[in-house]
Amino acid sequence: MDRFIAELGLFAPAVVFNIYFALASIPLGFVLAVFLALGKASDNPLINRLSRGYIYAFRGSPLFIQFFMIYSLALSFNVAVWKPMGVSWWILHPLFIGPLVLVLNTAAYTAEIFYGALRAVPRGEVEAARAYGMSRSQQFRQVVWPNLIRLAWPAYTNEVVFLFHATAIVYLALPVIGQQKDLMITAKELFERDYNAFLHFSVAALYFLAVSLVVFFLFGLVYRRLMRHMPATPRMRYAPTWWR
Amino acid sequence: MSDDFAFWLSYLTNGKHLTWYASFQFTVFAAAFGGTLAVVFGLIGATLKNSRFLPLRIIGTIYSSIVRGVPDVLFFLFFPLAFEQGVEWIIASQVCSPEMIAAQSAAWPPCKDANWFLGTPEYLVLASVSLGLVYGAFATNVIHGALRSVPQGQLEAARAYGMSANQVLWRVHIRQMWVYALPGLSNVWMLIIKATSLLSLLQIADIVLWADRLGAPNFLPAVGLVHGDWRWRYYLVLFVFYILVTWISEKGFDAIMRRAGRGILSEAP
Repeated sequence: MDRFIAELGLFAPAVVFNIYFALASIPLGFVLAVFLALGKASDNPLINRLSRGYIYAFRGSPLFIQFFMIYSLALSFNVAVWKPMGVSWWILHPLFIGPLVLVLNTAAYTAEIFYGALRAVPRGEVEAARAYGMSRSQQFRQVVWPNLIRLAWPAYTNEVVFLFHATAIVYLALPVIGQQKDLMITAKELFERDYNAFLHFSVAALYFLAVSLVVFFLFGLVYRRLMRHMPATPRMRYAPTWWR
Repeated sequence: MSDDFAFWLSYLTNGKHLTWYASFQFTVFAAAFGGTLAVVFGLIGATLKNSRFLPLRIIGTIYSSIVRGVPDVLFFLFFPLAFEQGVEWIIASQVCSPEMIAAQSAAWPPCKDANWFLGTPEYLVLASVSLGLVYGAFATNVIHGALRSVPQGQLEAARAYGMSANQVLWRVHIRQMWVYALPGLSNVWMLIIKATSLLSLLQIADIVLWADRLGAPNFLPAVGLVHGDWRWRYYLVLFVFYILVTWISEKGFDAIMRRAGRGILSEAP
């Protein structure tokens, strides 16, 4: 039991890195996803094709490969571009590349969720807004967006949990610098020291579970606020529609 | 021009590249075997979850929620390691004498004779089982939901024909379940395809590992620098490869769904 508590302490600094990766990529991914979803619903053939292609490519390929690809791409520009500009120390840093790739990835998944919600926005409400003479941006802000975010929120919650799970492979693909180790690397290193797979991996799993539950709780609060006009808030379920 | 062509042809067919092409078999094997196991585990899990016996129901629910609640990579790495250790522990309890255990200086295995050496084929099978276990939990959820979507009237009709409970289950319930499960199962399949990129984490020389080796700056004393850092090109090829596989499976699943949905009036979305 003492060993278990000591183990929890060993993993505490590691979970900070996972939380950092998730927190750093969620806001930007959210914003990018809104634009991608609007792009996928756009009538402009160029914008439409580009957003469709982007979403398909990043949802259709493994995050692991995306990490390797973007990191090696950044490395290949190192001598010619980053070094002379003197930015290579942060551009090539896992704490920058990690969130960058996660943003690109989660934007695609989130955009698909938002696109689905966008198509589910009641047509009558949009028509009513147009009948009132609202401009397009007014329609979006007053009618489409509030509907969209309410429809998409449960699926988006699942996406955020899965994004947090995806942070597990950041350091499996990128170099570990010094003591900056996330949960997976800590578990692996401890395992290589005393070969106790059950203890180390289950503590790491416990941390992932705990943070996932916190995410559910927080996003549930937001959902309750979003749905405050309803007599009873529909329950949120752990049932992702799109998985990574 | 023809010189260029000859160079690229010989470059792309040199021994290392041929090994790379051959390593695609690992990915294909892991996807096929892992996918089959995922459906099997999914059926078992859904049966447990539907069981009338409470402990079995709890086991099914715990399996599907715990495995889905932790990252797939974690379980993917954990299972082969834990399985290997478990086997070594059993061997150790048979072959190790106290003197041998005392002579062993490393933390694991307990004695030298208990060491179980795993090569690529063994790791590949373990990785596939691991994939099956992880995505079986997702499939459990899908199949459980699909079993409940089969219209009650169909089952009642089957019962009215005098079918036994087993006959109803196998001839009507599970047969009709596929139509409702297919969209979810196609999702699980896409996941498994993407997860096959993780094989290199278990020391399998798969396409990702070879792409890394081939793309690394290549220097030969006889000719000088053959090429610089080309890793991103190789990863780009893999990126496109996975997108293509996803695209092909999507088309395949569309065809299967159309076929499975024949004669069913209200088709599953």
